[in-house]
Amino acid sequence: MTAAQPFNVRVREIVELAPSLKRFSFEPVHGGVFPTPPAGGHVLLTLRDGARVMKNAYSLVSPPSERSRYDIIVRLVAQSRGGSSHLHRKVAPGDVLEMANPVSLFPLISTAKKHLLIGGGIGITPMLSFLPELKARGARFELHQLATLEEVPVFERLLAPYAAGEEIRVHGGGRAAFDLAGLLARQPLGTHVYVCGPHSLMEAVASTAAALGWPKTKVHKESFGGDITGLPFRAVLRKSGIEVEVGESQSLLEAIEAAGVEAPCLCRGGACGQCATPLVEGEAEHRDDFLSAEEKAAGTLIMTCVSRARGPRIVIDL
Amino acid sequence: MSDQGMKSRPTYAPLAPDPSGRHHLLVVEAAEVPAEALAEGVVPSAFEVWTVARRSAVPSAPAMEEAPGSVAIFRSVTHLFSALEERLARETMGLRLYAAGAEPFLWDVWGRAEKAGLSRQETAFAEVGPKARRIYCVHCRTVTEGVTTSIFTCPGCGASLFVRDHFSRRLAAFMGVQVDAEVPGEVPEAEELYA
Ligand code: FES
Repeated sequence: MTAAQPFNVRVREIVELAPSLKRFSFEPVHGGVFPTPPAGGHVLLTLRDGARVMKNAYSLVSPPSERSRYDIIVRLVAQSRGGSSHLHRKVAPGDVLEMANPVSLFPLISTAKKHLLIGGGIGITPMLSFLPELKARGARFELHQLATLEEVPVFERLLAPYAAGEEIRVHGGGRAAFDLAGLLARQPLGTHVYVCGPHSLMEAVASTAAALGWPKTKVHKESFGGDITGLPFRAVLRKSGIEVEVGESQSLLEAIEAAGVEAPCLCRGGACGQCATPLVEGEAEHRDDFLSAEEKAAGTLIMTCVSRARGPRIVIDL
Repeated sequence: MSDQGMKSRPTYAPLAPDPSGRHHLLVVEAAEVPAEALAEGVVPSAFEVWTVARRSAVPSAPAMEEAPGSVAIFRSVTHLFSALEERLARETMGLRLYAAGAEPFLWDVWGRAEKAGLSRQETAFAEVGPKARRIYCVHCRTVTEGVTTSIFTCPGCGASLFVRDHFSRRLAAFMGVQVDAEVPGEVPEAEELYA
């Protein structure tokens, strides 16, 4: 499945939340309203910079009930993959961009007795779309946001509209000061935990939860791509009969798309599994959160959106 | 012709503690843990065990140690269930709940577990004791005790009933539905199923 038919949106407003954080508001180009997005949903933006085409997925942070606009928050990262820095530096209000329908790979579980949300840094974004939904449902929840000291006030401001009487905490002291095991150990039966943030945080939540007896089905991760850079390599696309060169700061998926080959994808962050492609030859350096340890060891699949080749060349069935 | 695919029905197998769990609570519809309820090599002391003695001599508030190997005895199933509800309400993630008994008991345990937010992955059930079913004829409402075959004749209306896996908690009985409703007289062989 590739993302649904794209449509055009106009940039309505850009707000600088912090030096590296901007909120972009989009509205439909031809007036009217957007479809109701799922809570925790995200959109795929296609950004064009000259001949270069970048596709990035961003969580919607506007409430699902808000259909006149879609908001996203984008962090400008030093070694940006292009999309985020393009949005930060080149996109201005009034510009028209191509967006694909919101999909949710990170849904709220309706049978949960309690929702425990853990965000790390920009991983706050899907949480921001969950909060109004949880409030509207009258659901029991608790949110812990990890941030750098400088960004604590930014996140506190973003969370303020939902904070009244709720268990919402922003931790600025780094991971060491955050008692993850204690938090997970005291959750009532029927709790589901949702974590979004750097790979290391998601791994820590998953492994701590497992050690405390949480079933896998109650631990939900949404990754943020993380680092996709690495040594360049060559990928042979067997079915398409072409070879692509994957650059240092480019993902395999981006290289495939740049060559004009349609490849399946959805989250572009190693979480959804859509881009799984059979690996025919060569070894993969797995960086996704989708394949199990056994599947990674078996080495027969590669997630093109985040994973790379371990050697100079791989052959994939695409 | 058996509709084992019922979503709400627990599956049954001899019990063994799930190594991924943190606490293991086993509730039993009898005074002792029946040997056939446990998988090979598993001993009752691997669990915190709750049993039902059906005796008035049992202390009304069982000592709760909440540790593997501890045994709490309840004077009735009702007594055990009210303690279970209270316990599940204050339990934390990591609990595994196991139950051994006849099917209606297991259904009742599953109902309480589900209400407390436990999933299939956090529960396990072993069916022990008589498996004969109590059948409710959906056509004439006659209840027949001790049915052990997949198809039987309703003593109330004479219909050939197929015993469904659908258990009504309200009626504490399985549903019996006419098998030859479409082609009268076409009744498959009855199988001995629930002896
Ligand atoms: S696109 Fe979702 S895992 Fe690759």
